[in-house]
Amino acid sequence: MVPSSIKIRTGNQMIAEGALHAGCQFFAGYPITPASGVYKAMIEQLPQRNGVAISAPDEISALAYCVGASGRGVKAMTASSGPGWSLMIETVQYALMTELPVVIALVQRLGPSTGGATQNGQADILFTEFCTSGGYTIPIFAPSTPQECYEVATIAFHWAEQLRTPVIILSDKEVGMMSEDVDFALLKGVPPSERALFRGGNGAQHLTYDFEELSDVPLFAPVGGADKVTMTGSAHDKKGTLQKNSKETIDVLVHLQAKIDARKEAMSIVRLDDAGPADTLLISFGITARTAREAVRRARQDGKKVRNANVISLFPVPEQALIAAAAGVRRVVIAEENMTGQYRSVLRSLFPQTEVVGVNTVGTMITPNDILNALV
Amino acid sequence: MEATLPRTTFTKENAAFPFCKGCGHHHYVKHLDEAFVSLQLDPKQVCIVSDIGCIGILDSLFAEPHTFHTTHGRSTAFATGIALADGILHDAKLKTVVVIGDGGATIGLLHLVNAALMNIDVTVVLANNFLYGMTGGQHSQFSPLEFVTPTTPAGNIVPPMDICSIMKSCGATYIRQASATDKNLGTIIGEAIAHPGFAIVEVLELCTEWATPFNKIDGKMLTGSVHHNDSGGVPERKDFSSLYKEKVLGAPKRPSDDTIVPHYTSPLRGSRRIVLAGTAGEKVQLASFLYMKSAIASGLHATQKNDNPVTQGSGFSLSELCVSSDDILYTGIDRPDAVIIASADGLKEVRANGTLARCTPDSIVVAEQTLPEFECAGKVSRLPLRAVCTGSRAALSALAALNVAKGWVSQDALWEMIDGKFKEKSAAFHRDIEALMPFIKI
Ligand code: SF4
Ligand SMILES: [Mg+2]
Repeated sequence: MVPSSIKIRTGNQMIAEGALHAGCQFFAGYPITPASGVYKAMIEQLPQRNGVAISAPDEISALAYCVGASGRGVKAMTASSGPGWSLMIETVQYALMTELPVVIALVQRLGPSTGGATQNGQADILFTEFCTSGGYTIPIFAPSTPQECYEVATIAFHWAEQLRTPVIILSDKEVGMMSEDVDFALLKGVPPSERALFRGGNGAQHLTYDFEELSDVPLFAPVGGADKVTMTGSAHDKKGTLQKNSKETIDVLVHLQAKIDARKEAMSIVRLDDAGPADTLLISFGITARTAREAVRRARQDGKKVRNANVISLFPVPEQALIAAAAGVRRVVIAEENMTGQYRSVLRSLFPQTEVVGVNTVGTMITPNDILNALV
Repeated sequence: MEATLPRTTFTKENAAFPFCKGCGHHHYVKHLDEAFVSLQLDPKQVCIVSDIGCIGILDSLFAEPHTFHTTHGRSTAFATGIALADGILHDAKLKTVVVIGDGGATIGLLHLVNAALMNIDVTVVLANNFLYGMTGGQHSQFSPLEFVTPTTPAGNIVPPMDICSIMKSCGATYIRQASATDKNLGTIIGEAIAHPGFAIVEVLELCTEWATPFNKIDGKMLTGSVHHNDSGGVPERKDFSSLYKEKVLGAPKRPSDDTIVPHYTSPLRGSRRIVLAGTAGEKVQLASFLYMKSAIASGLHATQKNDNPVTQGSGFSLSELCVSSDDILYTGIDRPDAVIIASADGLKEVRANGTLARCTPDSIVVAEQTLPEFECAGKVSRLPLRAVCTGSRAALSALAALNVAKGWVSQDALWEMIDGKFKEKSAAFHRDIEALMPFIKI
């Protein structure tokens, strides 16, 4: 028999696989449909690799455990869905402010906790991105298949560690809970990446939030290591001293966004299916990207000229890639499972000269026909 | 090598304390420092995790220990993460000390509760001055009865929580209470830090800005109200990190291999979308899973998704399958190729969720014989599923019979999966299929 590497996996399980590949050593979880599969997979697998996977009594604890562990120098992840996310938000801001890497896998459904646990949703886009009172960009990556769940998890850890910031994997119930054949030999992912460490030497003194250029990422030293660490969620100078409005403190606040802006293009991932001149640019993400691929296949059989853009990096918005993708089209169609066109509201300004149309549902999947009807 | 002199303080030289005159926090800081000195800790193996409130800003007074100034009430949760990472993934040398007030302990009570339950190696030194000093003296859930504050102008009418009793009921292994002026407080905090596992010291304090001006309260009264001055009664137990290393990481590793080898073939070109509907507990989703496995073993791609009511073990059970020779793009079922309805619960659900309405004249519908009439454009076969197979085999036997008729996946693969799963009991499925085949009209 030829050796095989095909297994049946859900998207949730593949997020766990990707996290393990990335070197995640710490997971704290709290049950919530449809994200519990990540929690279960991590509880099963992390101890097998001598990592820590524990249960928290609520989502605030789950994320705070992860951020604390990250401060001690380990890669950490939690997983939840909208209702749990609403509890995590202050802690996300804290991670952002303290520049502590952490990965949060959010598997969307309909909220609140009494909402629609087993109904798909792609309606937490704005809720997830625009949750900080500081208005900072939180990198968000959205997978559409179990294979992409793996890939995106490795990417999320890469950027969390490289940027020292919280990064979100924004999945959805359909992607997370559906099982599929996955050929492990064909998995793609970025190699594990480590946060840059402060190594001292030559009498160099460690400043917890040191940078030269605003867009530099401070070198990390763990609490419990040889160099004093001053973590604080308060506005602070480079040393971590609480301050309100010194020039240096304002610089630190600006730096939090500058480090992300400077890597915006490097973070951009748009999977483009370009079959030449097109009348329509179709944009989608998550489970809807799969539906879009089917719609495009059928549309081209009907002789329609359509270009398909599957956005993986929802934020920072991959502006250049999307503007380039829209070259020459008469219409941009943005398909997403929420009623008001959340991502459309973010993208609209990229296409000032082009008609922008939404395909939207709530509580039910968008079908290939829904999309076909919206194409030029 | 020069002998290092014993360290006499961990605070900064000439540190100006930021607290109001007479505030109990002065004593708190002094005693915490005494505790560090008495243990002669390596400051790089100390992490002070501070909360919000006047007490929270004490981190800036300590020169060399690591400090982690956290969000309101959450300090114990961050400290738990630090302690877990240190205790399990590092060398377990770090002393993690939480500095929190009564306000933080109120909003973050669950973090204290869970840290005590887990017996995390963290020391909580709770500064209880019965109110929220920093935000204007509002009362807290720790305020005594009749306590006058801006938010209890007529005096507090709700009794205070007793954190020591709560911690005791959570199995905390070290619990002490003392007034801020107690000269033994440094020793008590030192003991708490040295204690392996969760320790809490409640320090009763005066807020001179908000408590003393409006209430008859003084140091003597605080000292007199201390009631939890021993840790007796709670048996020692291992801290979480030690237990985790022993029981979880120490358990034998279980490598699992659930690889599927596609050693069968299928003549199928294109995709087939199948809906299986039945009753929870009647192995509907297992039937779907085994079919999916056989499809993959036949060299096909497959997706499966399940649905059930909120209570997982009652009502309907539904599974949607797609098997395909090509990559599966759209994962929904906009046009079912086959629908299997094994019970009344299943019928109710395929009616409600629109599956029946989406059937075309090409759709094959295999339904339990005794079900009432239903409207559907598909080609309906009525089978004595429940009479022949009983409920627990109905879905899988119907699916297998359908496959015998259509051959979408390799029947040998399907038998391999069924035989492998049900072992000696699988003969019943072979008998079911023979009995059912004459009823399938395709
Ligand atoms: S407000 Fe009260 S608690 Fe705060 S520093 Fe002043 S006296 Fe102390
Ligand atoms: Mg207080």
